[in-house]
Amino acid sequence: MNRGYTRLLLLAGMLLALPLAAQWFDYPTRGVPRTPAGKPNLNAPAPRTGDGKPDLSGMWRAANRLPCDGINRVCGDLPISAQFGNIGAAVEGGLPYQPWVRDRIRQKGPADDPYTRCIAPGGPRMHMLPTMKKWVQSPDLLIILDEYNASYRQIFLDGRPLPADPAPTWNGYATGHWEGDTLAVESSGYRDDQWLDAAGSAITSTARVTERIRRVNFGTLLIDLSVDDPKAYTRPWSVTLKEDVVIDTEMVEAICAENEKDVPHLNAVPRQAR
Amino acid sequence: MRIDFALLFACLILVLPAESSFSHHSFTAEYDSAKLTQFTGTVTKVEWTNPHARFYLDVKDARGTVSSWNFELGSPILLRRLGWSRDSLKIGEQVSVEGYLAKDGAKMANARRVTLADGRNVFAGSSADGNPAK
Repeated sequence: MNRGYTRLLLLAGMLLALPLAAQWFDYPTRGVPRTPAGKPNLNAPAPRTGDGKPDLSGMWRAANRLPCDGINRVCGDLPISAQFGNIGAAVEGGLPYQPWVRDRIRQKGPADDPYTRCIAPGGPRMHMLPTMKKWVQSPDLLIILDEYNASYRQIFLDGRPLPADPAPTWNGYATGHWEGDTLAVESSGYRDDQWLDAAGSAITSTARVTERIRRVNFGTLLIDLSVDDPKAYTRPWSVTLKEDVVIDTEMVEAICAENEKDVPHLNAVPRQAR
Repeated sequence: MRIDFALLFACLILVLPAESSFSHHSFTAEYDSAKLTQFTGTVTKVEWTNPHARFYLDVKDARGTVSSWNFELGSPILLRRLGWSRDSLKIGEQVSVEGYLAKDGAKMANARRVTLADGRNVFAGSSADGNPAK
């Protein structure tokens, strides 16, 4: 075999391999603990950073995903949990809505959901979206990247206080500190028109949100979420969100507004027919 | 060098359990689960876009009138992870589609089974629907 032919074969091989490698969908994640049989050991202890803190870094997605039913939930689309539809699904008696929130839930429909309208998920709702998230932790900053709209959330760990009178934003302002192996995150500065779930549960500019985050093992994050928002709720409430680690794949950009064609048809359907 | 797609899809099955979907809107808010309809036509356009991949068919009715139908698929994020690509369906192909009609009467449907002329199904998420990865 001459050198030219060998080079041609090598080039052809590289070109054939490129589309798969370039997508990184099956690129192995480094540092995954393994069982003696070589399988990922998701029950292994959580990794730690150089300063001994639990390392929350990794790709995550909402746990407790509902199975496909072939009609409302298709196997070829993104999976959701019950909390995506109703963050208070496990709260006995439901969330303690103020009357205007109950009215809004009755009056508004899927076409009004900021997430469906491709605007933004907003703050803690990011944990429940069906897209994948990547957490990147440094000593002074935790960044959560989301495939959805290629968006981000910053949680500052450098000791700064929350702003006293923040301009409202979809992701709010968040600071955190370690209490043992738990990262305690406080956030505020949300908008008045945000939804916490697809049902339309509210979060407003008076909200003070606490997220107590624990990586209980390599494969699991538990987030105890507490919302104290007197404008939207008659009393504070708490739920626990769970995230599963995702390995051996990569983030995919998903800009929702690039070809959104459903909202006009959602608007056209009378509410009682939805 | 040959890429063994059967092996590739066999590997995918290990990391992609069958799960539910939402993508970015409620199914029942837009489509009628009681109106599962069969279509046959020619692919005129494929939109490999967010939040849903879509394709368009020229469909001829009983009177010979041709009209364009818009078929919604899942999110390209998951379709790509399932092994499908924008080239899985080509313009000019004859396909059969089983889909749920839009409630508002638009020429739109949520595609559940897309079958090529040679009998292969594309864009499916489960083995029952023809995904070789499942």
